[in-house]
Amino acid sequence: MRKLTALVLCGVLCISTLVGCSKKANNEKAENKTTNTTETTTTTTEETEALPEGVLSEEKATLKIYAQYADEDTKVPYDYAVEQLKVAYPNVTLELEPQAQDDGQKLMTYAATGNLPDIYQVALAQIENFKQSGNIMVLNDVAKSTGFEDKVFDSAKNILYNEDGNIYAFPYAGNEYVVWYYNKAIFEKYNVEVPKTFDQLLTAIETFKANGIVPMSMFGAEGWITAAMYDVLATRWDAGGIAKLDNGEGTAKEDAYAKAADMLHTLVKAGMFQGSVTTTNYDQASEMFLNGEAAMFLNGQWYMTDATNKLGDDVDWMYYPSYDEASYEAGKTVWSGGGAAAGYAVNPNSKNAELAAKVAAFLSEKYCEAKVMYRGTPLVALDVDVQPETEFPAMMKKLQADLPAITSITKFDWHLSNATFKTALEDQTKYLMIEDYTPEEFIKELNNALQQ
Amino acid sequence: MKKFYSNKIAIVLFALPALALFTVMVFYPIVQVFLKSFYDWNGLGSGTFIGLDNYTTLFKDTVFHLSNKNALIFAIVITVFQMTLATIFSIVVSNKKMKGRGFLRVSYFIPVVLSVTVVCQLWLAILNTDTGLLNAIFKALGIDFQQNWLANRHKAIYVIAFVNAWQWMGYQFALLMAGIKSIPSDYYEAAKIDGASSIMAHRKVTIPLLKETYKICLTISLTGGVKAFTEMFIMTKGGPGNATYTLTYLMYKAAFREFRYGYGMAAASMLVLQCLAIILIINWLFRDKEERSERKCNKRMARQLSQ
Repeated sequence: MRKLTALVLCGVLCISTLVGCSKKANNEKAENKTTNTTETTTTTTEETEALPEGVLSEEKATLKIYAQYADEDTKVPYDYAVEQLKVAYPNVTLELEPQAQDDGQKLMTYAATGNLPDIYQVALAQIENFKQSGNIMVLNDVAKSTGFEDKVFDSAKNILYNEDGNIYAFPYAGNEYVVWYYNKAIFEKYNVEVPKTFDQLLTAIETFKANGIVPMSMFGAEGWITAAMYDVLATRWDAGGIAKLDNGEGTAKEDAYAKAADMLHTLVKAGMFQGSVTTTNYDQASEMFLNGEAAMFLNGQWYMTDATNKLGDDVDWMYYPSYDEASYEAGKTVWSGGGAAAGYAVNPNSKNAELAAKVAAFLSEKYCEAKVMYRGTPLVALDVDVQPETEFPAMMKKLQADLPAITSITKFDWHLSNATFKTALEDQTKYLMIEDYTPEEFIKELNNALQQ
Repeated sequence: MKKFYSNKIAIVLFALPALALFTVMVFYPIVQVFLKSFYDWNGLGSGTFIGLDNYTTLFKDTVFHLSNKNALIFAIVITVFQMTLATIFSIVVSNKKMKGRGFLRVSYFIPVVLSVTVVCQLWLAILNTDTGLLNAIFKALGIDFQQNWLANRHKAIYVIAFVNAWQWMGYQFALLMAGIKSIPSDYYEAAKIDGASSIMAHRKVTIPLLKETYKICLTISLTGGVKAFTEMFIMTKGGPGNATYTLTYLMYKAAFREFRYGYGMAAASMLVLQCLAIILIINWLFRDKEERSERKCNKRMARQLSQ
C-alpha cells in the first residue's frame, strides 16, 4: 500500500512538472507567435498609411509593465491611461505587475536576472545603476518623434533630462512640494496664530500639548518624511537644503545643517510630534490629522485633495516657519521638494522595445491628464489640454498662485542620486526624532555617509 | 547492513542528490558571497576588484561595531530567556501528575506557528507609546514606568529581543520536551530510591542527559540571534536611527538600499564567519566536557579497581 501511495505521489509530481514545462513551452510558442504577428503587423502598418481616427498604431503586442498601483493616486491615472491606450493602441495589451514598496529590490532582481519588464517605473538612483549595466533605453528619439519633449513644461525640463543630457524615463509628475498643513479650526479654537518664527512655533506646541492635541502628527516610520522635515528646516538657512549635500556641493558640518539639526532636536524635545513617531505609519499619522487629534501635518502637495475632502475649509497650508520674521518672509519663495529625471522607463532588450517606448510616452501623457482631471493637481510634467473634473482645492489654487514666485526647490528624498547619503539621511533624521540623540551625532554620521 | 555500506555506488547515489542540492543552494552562494566581497559591485554586471577595501571600510564603520554589539545583546537575551523558560516549562509540563499539561504544551507552542509579521504587529500595538496596552497597564496601576519602548536608543534592542524570545521560546520548549520524553523513567525511579528530591532528580538526571539537546538549542538561539533581521525590519526598520541594526540589517541596507552589493557581501562574509565561530565554539565546549567527563570516569574506575 505504501509503495503504491509513493508511486502515485511520484507520478503526480512528474506529471505536474511536465505540465508546468509544457505550459511554459506553450507560452514560449505563443510569445513567438506574438512576435511573428507583431513583425507581420508592423510590415502591414508601414504599408497602410491611413489609420483610423485616434489610433496611433495598430501594432500587436503584449507588454509587461511594472508600475505603481496601490492607492487612488496611482490607480486612477493608471486605469485612465489603460482605457486611453485601448483607443490609441488597440492591439497592445498591458500585463500589469504592481510595483512593490521594497526600495526597488524586485526591479534590481529582474535586471540582474535579465527579466526586466518591457516598461517599468524607475527612480533616479536606479537609473544610474541601470545606465551602467545597459538595462535602460535611451529615449531621446522617441521623445522627439512622439512630441513628448515639446509637451514638457519649461519649468519641468529639469525632470526630463538626466545629468548626461539623455532621456531615460518619461516623467509624469512635475516638480512637487513639501507642504506644511494645519487645521485652521484647531488653531482658532485654542487662539493660536499661524507661526512665522520658531519661537512662535514652540509657543504653539506648548498650547496644543496643554490641551491634549498633538502639535504635528508625522509618519516617522517612513524615512522620507523625516528627511523632508529636516530639509524644510535646513532651507531656512540655506536654500540648497539636502539637494546641495546630494550634489556634493557642501558638507553636513556647515552652519545651516547644524542649525537645522539643532532646531529639529529642540522641536522634538518640546514635544512637537506624537510619542511613537518613529514607528507611526502614514495611515496612522494621517488619521490623527484628519480626525482632529493633531494640529499640523507634513506631506506632499498631493495630499491636498484627501485633506480637503475630509476637513473641507478647516484645512490650509502655511509657509515654513523660520528663525525670524525677515527670513520667514524671504523664505516664502524657497521650498522643499522638487522633481527628478524619473518615471516610465523601457527595457532595451524587450522584443518590442520601440513600441514599448512609444507606449511609455503615451502612458506618461495620459497620467498627466488623469492627474489634472481627477486628482486635483496641476503639478504635472506635461502641458496637457484637459480641464479638471472638479475645481482644484482652495489650497492648490493658493499654491498655484505662489508657483511663479518660487525661486528655489530642493529634492524629495527619493530623488537623491547618492544612495548612501539618502539611506543615512533617512536613518539619521529618524534618529533625530528621539530626544536623546544629539545634533552633533547626527551631523557626524551624516558627514561620514557623505564621505563614503 | 554491512553489505549496504560496502556498496559504494549505492552510497554515492543516495548522497548525491542532497550533496548536489547543498552545493548549489548553500555552498556555491557562500563562495560567491566571499568572492563578491572583494569587488565594488552594484548588483548588476561584474563589478571591479578592489581587494580588501570593503573590509577596511567595514571595520572603520561605526554602524558595523554597533551592529555587532546589538547582535551580541540580541543573542544573549534570547538565549538566556528561551533556554531558562523552556527548561522550566518543559520540566513542569513533563510531570505526568500535572493537570492541564496538554493545554500548556499547546499554549507555549502557539507563538511559534504564528507569522513573524503578525507577532511583530501584535507587539507594535502593545508597545505603542500613546495607545499601547503596556503603557495603559502601567498607567492603570499608577506605576510611573510609561515610555517610548521602541524609540529608546538604548532599550529598543532589548525590547525587540524580547519579542523574538517570546515567539521562539516554544520551539526550544518542544525540543527539550522531546529530549525529556526520551529519558527512561527508570533513572528517576532510581534517583527517588536514593532519596533525591524532584528538583535534585532533574538537576542530576534530566539536565545532564539533555546535553545534546541543549547543544542544538544553544546553536539555534545564538546563531539565530547573531543573524537577527526580521523583527527589526518590521518593528523599527533598524531604528530609531540605526540603534537596532544587526549585521544582517547592515548587509540589507548596503546591498538593497544603497546598491553597494560588494560592501553588503563583506558584511555577509563576516556574518558567515561569526556563525561558524559560534558553532565551532559550542562544539568545542560540549566536546571538551564530554572528554573531560569520560576522563574523570576512567580515573574513578581505575581508582576503584586499584582499591
